[in-house]
Amino acid sequence: MAVTSSPRTVRVRPAADRQAVRGRSGRRVATGRVVVNGSLLLFSALYLVPLVWMLLASVNAHGSFKLTVPSPTGANFRQILNTDTTYRPMLNGLLMCGGGTLLCVVCSVLAAYPLSRFRSRLRRPFLYTVLFSTGLPITAVMIPVYSMFVQVNLIDSMAGTTLFLAAAALPFGIWLMKNFMDGVPLVLEEAARIDGANAMQVLWRIVLPLMWPGVIVVTIFTFIGMWGNFFVPFILLLSPEKLPASVSVFTFLSAHDQTQYGQLSAFSIIYSIPVVMLYLVLARRLGGGFALGGALKG
Amino acid sequence: MRTRLLAATAVAAVTTVCAATLSGCGSGSGSSGKTIKVVYQQQLNNSNKVQAGFLGPMVEQFEKANPGTTVKLVPVTASENDYYTKIQLMMRSPATAPDMVYEDTATINSDVAGGYLKPLDSYLNTWQDWGSFAAPAKAAMKYAPDGKTYGVPDNTDTRGIWYNKQLFAQAGIAVPWQPKTWADVLTAARTVKAKVPGVTPLNVYTGVAGGEASSMQGFEMLLYGTPAANDSLYDTKQQKWVVGSKGFKDALGFVHTVFGEGLGPSAQQALGANFQAAVGTEMIPQGKLAIDIDGSWMPNNWIRTGPKPWPQWQTTMGMAAMPTQNGQGSGKVSMSGGWAWSIPAKAKNPDLAWKFTQFLESKANSARWNSVNATIAVRTDVATDPTYLKALPTNEFFSALVPDTFYRPGLPAYTQVSSAIQKAMEAVTTGQSSVDKAAGTYDSDVKTAVGDGKTVQGAR
Amino acid sequence: MTTSAATAGPRRGRAVGGLLRGMPLLPAVVLLAVFLAGPIAYCVYYAFTDMQLTGASGTHFVGFDNFTRAFGDSDFVNAVVLTLVFVVGSAVVGQNTLGLALAVLMEKAARPVRAVTSTVVIAAWVLPEVVAGYLMYAFFFQQGSLNAILRGLHLPQQNWLYTLPILAVCIANVWRGTAFSMLVYSAALNDVPQELVEAAEVDGAGPWQRLWRVTLPVIRRSVMTNLMLITLQTLSVFGLIYTMTRGGPGNKTETLPVFMYQQAFTSSLIGYGTAVALVLLVVGALFSAVYIRMLKMEED
Repeated sequence: MAVTSSPRTVRVRPAADRQAVRGRSGRRVATGRVVVNGSLLLFSALYLVPLVWMLLASVNAHGSFKLTVPSPTGANFRQILNTDTTYRPMLNGLLMCGGGTLLCVVCSVLAAYPLSRFRSRLRRPFLYTVLFSTGLPITAVMIPVYSMFVQVNLIDSMAGTTLFLAAAALPFGIWLMKNFMDGVPLVLEEAARIDGANAMQVLWRIVLPLMWPGVIVVTIFTFIGMWGNFFVPFILLLSPEKLPASVSVFTFLSAHDQTQYGQLSAFSIIYSIPVVMLYLVLARRLGGGFALGGALKG
Repeated sequence: MRTRLLAATAVAAVTTVCAATLSGCGSGSGSSGKTIKVVYQQQLNNSNKVQAGFLGPMVEQFEKANPGTTVKLVPVTASENDYYTKIQLMMRSPATAPDMVYEDTATINSDVAGGYLKPLDSYLNTWQDWGSFAAPAKAAMKYAPDGKTYGVPDNTDTRGIWYNKQLFAQAGIAVPWQPKTWADVLTAARTVKAKVPGVTPLNVYTGVAGGEASSMQGFEMLLYGTPAANDSLYDTKQQKWVVGSKGFKDALGFVHTVFGEGLGPSAQQALGANFQAAVGTEMIPQGKLAIDIDGSWMPNNWIRTGPKPWPQWQTTMGMAAMPTQNGQGSGKVSMSGGWAWSIPAKAKNPDLAWKFTQFLESKANSARWNSVNATIAVRTDVATDPTYLKALPTNEFFSALVPDTFYRPGLPAYTQVSSAIQKAMEAVTTGQSSVDKAAGTYDSDVKTAVGDGKTVQGAR
Repeated sequence: MTTSAATAGPRRGRAVGGLLRGMPLLPAVVLLAVFLAGPIAYCVYYAFTDMQLTGASGTHFVGFDNFTRAFGDSDFVNAVVLTLVFVVGSAVVGQNTLGLALAVLMEKAARPVRAVTSTVVIAAWVLPEVVAGYLMYAFFFQQGSLNAILRGLHLPQQNWLYTLPILAVCIANVWRGTAFSMLVYSAALNDVPQELVEAAEVDGAGPWQRLWRVTLPVIRRSVMTNLMLITLQTLSVFGLIYTMTRGGPGNKTETLPVFMYQQAFTSSLIGYGTAVALVLLVVGALFSAVYIRMLKMEED
């Protein structure tokens, strides 16, 4: 998982220069490096504790908060690995969050292009409205959304829930995507325009290939958000067999007085796998997180 | 290339428009003809499928006895609050309203006021079995403003005192023990404190973290035992919340005494999260707690399938009824919750739903349900049924408390009043404020929550 | 569909051209208008009514009652204060500073160390919010890992979730969210011209001075944008706090989103709850306005 070990965009500094700097203040730099590496490792170890606990608890027969495993067992996993608890909710989640993410990313890319490239009086107000709406807790709008879904007969429909998830993720998606697109230089585009390409062709052939990292960041961001969203599917879906994993995991995890920490941890691990996988697969193309820079220079 | 992008735009636009306008995209969920939809809460604990296991065969039998009918069970897996939200939303619109809904007695009045439920009087009038239901349980189903009944209760719980006989023996208190007044309870706790070191003499749930356990097992067990009894918290006749009563201060004073004299657990322990689980699975089984004011469900912690199997509980633990303040009235008091079957106002097939309700609540089926669910019966004939009495050795004792039990006012403002109670308890538990000051804060909290006009000065 | 016909057609004048150019916005605008703008408009209406989910069947217009009630409600004021503490503590100070520190240190660290650190930090970030909340609960729990570690080091232990709950949820949010700032700053630092830093070093500037005088001024736009985004994200954090403490003990971790949820859904006061949500929206807009102003001042 060496995600930042080979960042594509890292500027390669001439080795000679670095050597020269090091030569000047030789020993101090060396001890500095030891301190830096040491403190980062110590920090990582601390950061890792909660994750280690989850792994340990998932194979612990007697769930507890201790950092030990007296009697390792696979029972926790065996108990949750069934259709009702794990497989079907995971599949539902993948369908809805996958579909929602796809829709959201496509719409954001399309929307970001005119916002990034064309001047208009409406552009700023639109962007700010979109930005501010990211601060609204989605729980607040669920009551009217429910009434609306009942009226248009979308209640208890996975497609309807997918659409809503996509819409709820759009503001942030559009905003990020527009910023990424601003980072793609106009020069190349103008050349293509002179060759007679229209806006869509330019977007597809010139802009997108230069901003894949941005698209990937938005994809990951959107998916993480949807995957963890409990309240939206809980309200909009009625049939238990349509509910995604986020609903089951939320209901398990928010009930602390239950003493099934082992099963909870096992389920948490399984539940986290899709997001981790998505990150691992996409991060390879991303070249570490360095692509984010383009988007966030403002 | 170009076409693909255009297609993407078009597809996105089309899906959106279609989804928003056409009704064909969604799946209708109305029930029609001889079909009913029955909604109930599936416990968070995923291994607890007791109700699903009970209802499944019931549905089969019912469908066999009534050919052509279909009963669709819709479990909602959620915490209690989220479950309430969900069923209230469902009952709001005719398209999603189920035909039968499992209602918590704590929220039923509130849902009646919201216009969600259908009065059952016309059905109940012709149902002989209704006479077998215990009076307090029936009263809890009645909505005071219109005097109609909105649910058929199928289980309850009662509350009393659990005490450790071994610790009592060490302290030299004779068992079986039945205190007559609050003072008797405190005396026993003081004796334990003096004679058996290292043991918490008495637990009264308290504070905000304890949530409803503090309000109900802790405070209301005291408050409803004051002379004002059923009118000590909410005056049903005037439909107003009681403030400034002597009974409230007395109950708060009891809590103050328990924690002020060190008869209870340490404040930090009592006010922390998860304390309830600690009482049931650690303090009591380890013999660290002598007296606990708690619920009839406690043995569920200790049975073979419970979180802390403890077979010795039957010989170790004794039960006593909670006494009223000065032994007035019947001398004992209990608080109850529990669940009931109701029919939403917008149900499409209320007649069939009623038929299924009758079927579920018959004597035999009720007895089965109360036995498998380890809850207290609300039918008086079930309370004497041998299978039920054998299901748990404590059933007889806790069923006997049903005639003297009280239900909370099932009103929406109750949650706010309940948190005000918890705040007042927390303040006297930590010793932050005096009883009078905490009671004063409670009064103003309640007035803010329900409005000035909705409170009344308590006479007693 | 009309989309393809319109885009394929020949260009007719400026107005049509403008419309055509805006065409790709359509799917997003439709989705937003139908699924968000509509419900938000309803929310604004609800905020001025006494709507309840249960307990009363009628809905009446009550003017500004919900807002006046909020500002007189000590629990609401408590929630506003806690929200500010949470945002400033965990985002503006916590995530932001830690993210920058990590990015700066990682530039100087050995490659494997850099890989390990970033992997661990990012792992916490990609975990679903509720799982993060659960893990943090286990970490801060009285018998949890943190106290076990402190015991091992012979340091005093605490019942963290009881004595310092707001600190616990702040740290939890830092734990979960720092990756974002770290990634932003790693990228930004990459754009700082090495010549500038080295020139400063030759002039005898210490590491702090280099950071303060050279690096920060160069990456200031990234700092502002990062601050704005993490502020907005932190403002609406709900699942993390709700799983850890449910807003308790008492209301010691009841930030605005939790308070709003409790009012709207636990107490069923939809009108009051949505009014609180609107206040939250305004708080977010105020924060953003400040950051946008600062960015603009840069431009001018």
